[in-house]
Amino acid sequence: MTSAIPSIALVGNPNAGKSSLFNALTGARQKIANYPGVTVERKAGHASFADGRPLSLIDLPGTYSLTPASLDEAVTRDVVLGKQAGETRPDALVVVVDAANLDNHLCFALELLALGLPTVIALNMLDLATRDGLTLDPERLSRELGVPVVPTVAVRKRGLAELLAAIDGAIATHQPRVAVAPPPNDASLHQRARAIARAATVDETPVRRWTQRVDSVVLHPVAGLVILLALMFVMFQAVYAAAEAPADFLEGGIGVLQGWVVDVLPDGFLRGLIVEGLLAGVGAVIVFLPQILILFLFILLLEASGYMTRAAFLMDGLMGKVGLSGRGFIPLLSSFACAVPGIMATRSIPDEKDRLTTILIAPLMTCSARMPVYTLVIGAFIPARTVGGSPVGLQGLVLFGLFLSGIVGALLVAWVLRRSVTKGNAAGFMMEMPRYQWPRARDIGLALWQRAWIFLRRAGTIIAMTTVVLWLLLSFPKAPADSDVRQVDYSVAGHIASGLEAVVRPIGFNHDIALALIPAMAAREVAVSALATANAIDAGDDEEAVAMSLGERLQGRWSLATALAFLAWFVFAPQCISTIAITRRETNGWKWPLFMVGYLFALAYAAAGITYWTAVAFGLG
Amino acid sequence: MIAKLDSSPLGISVRIARIDWAAMSQDEGRRLREFGLLEGCEVTPRHRGSIFSRDPLALTIGRMQVIIRARQAAAIEVEPAA
Repeated sequence: MTSAIPSIALVGNPNAGKSSLFNALTGARQKIANYPGVTVERKAGHASFADGRPLSLIDLPGTYSLTPASLDEAVTRDVVLGKQAGETRPDALVVVVDAANLDNHLCFALELLALGLPTVIALNMLDLATRDGLTLDPERLSRELGVPVVPTVAVRKRGLAELLAAIDGAIATHQPRVAVAPPPNDASLHQRARAIARAATVDETPVRRWTQRVDSVVLHPVAGLVILLALMFVMFQAVYAAAEAPADFLEGGIGVLQGWVVDVLPDGFLRGLIVEGLLAGVGAVIVFLPQILILFLFILLLEASGYMTRAAFLMDGLMGKVGLSGRGFIPLLSSFACAVPGIMATRSIPDEKDRLTTILIAPLMTCSARMPVYTLVIGAFIPARTVGGSPVGLQGLVLFGLFLSGIVGALLVAWVLRRSVTKGNAAGFMMEMPRYQWPRARDIGLALWQRAWIFLRRAGTIIAMTTVVLWLLLSFPKAPADSDVRQVDYSVAGHIASGLEAVVRPIGFNHDIALALIPAMAAREVAVSALATANAIDAGDDEEAVAMSLGERLQGRWSLATALAFLAWFVFAPQCISTIAITRRETNGWKWPLFMVGYLFALAYAAAGITYWTAVAFGLG
Repeated sequence: MIAKLDSSPLGISVRIARIDWAAMSQDEGRRLREFGLLEGCEVTPRHRGSIFSRDPLALTIGRMQVIIRARQAAAIEVEPAA
């Protein structure tokens, strides 16, 4: 035995409850990174044996066999075979199997056992198996497989100590096993798995599973779609309604902080930089944290409950018509939170052309970075009233409309792409449908915290940097005191914006917007901080102007037509460095990201233009 | 009586009589087998598509529920379960 910390890999079928087990074993002691060279997420963490010795755990992507069908499944194979670059072969495997689906999950378990590594089987989700009327004999299973079998209920933290002890024992007493040849073909492998499962099953009462009852409604050809649409509508309304109080609270807090800095620091360069640059800019974005978290919360809940696969099933017919598959629905729905994890989630799409098309349309899903822009403009220009006496808010309705435009646009683009640049075979769609499960507060909380942290880190780095640079460009050179030219127009940034303004003037954009669009290339939400920073400088020492909110100031400076055109622009504009970078990495080159940026800017320009000209024609200019 | 899985009525168990592996790609065939869809096993078609299309097909096999496309289901010949 080496003295190094033993590394244990969790491996198993999709839906075996691996991630919950990983969370239960490691708690918050997790590190999420990427495997070098590939963009597959590497989840690692630490735990300790009963006597305090540490062990490191890694959670491998779920797969059905050691023959991979996609990029993340290939990582699982390479890690357990010790072929993954930069990753040592695990000292032991914990094979996680779903107690209620032994027939299927034992196939992969048998294949893994044949590798001859120290192995422990975690017979997971035993409570759900019992609910389904299944009584199992773990000892019998252990005898049949020749390795320890530990019953676990990861979500209730049951069996964890026993599992760790079994791993310890398996490593300590491991005799290099003669690698057992796995059954020669799939049919005999399945036969063997079924025979073992039967032997380990003491009693099987047929109970009508409530999953089936729920599915008869949720997967109904018509009712199912109505439910899906209603869920998404509630989600977007909630983003608006529930985030208001915490957002006001954050906004107030930032105001207090700005006031405090004004009190302590003497007027000058540093005070301007902090109050008008950093706090105004970063603050304008941080305010949207509650909304982003609510959106993520919904997505995580849908995923953890097992509903997401149902949504994919319902949407497959529609997505199939434009040449995509229901598989793409999950990455696309994740893209509503952020296109970066969405594009990364396309790795699970086996067909290359299908995957590429999904990547190219992912930025059309209304990501959380657009929320600051939408919220600001909708809040300023759309009256906060309900529609015709119903409880539906007009603002929420406009937001829903913007989301819908993105979706419809994405489907049309996919339809065109699949008939031109990404022509190929009809995409396939094969997926396991998990049982319904109550999402666990702990798992959801942990994932939410990881998302919040990523957002805050982004606000602290990219956004802070771009707003500071923008503040400098806006503040210098100083306009002469007796000049009637505004500082914002006199500055370096003002001159750059004047150049851009000539291009965007026809679609109704003014100097403010041209100015905001440049730094927003880094990230869409920077458009809001840029408007905030420019306004803060513009307001200067005019107390009345300072007291006005950004929205109120915009009302005075933009027409409704301009505001609507601005919204339409952001439905399409690919203004996000991270998305472009991840697309380059996922498609191995500059060809596709450049194509994506090109077609999206063209669409954005057209959409904003059409919106503006139409609105002006209706007298809203 | 031999029928194809893509046109089997929902909710009625059938036994897989033959699968035309040549009608699908190798990867698709392997994934079907990984799901446990093999000659001789019993499956029950459960749900089919939405108002958009008859695709895809959800079926139960053992204690699992899986989704496949009608194109693959059309390559699977089934007979009434015993």
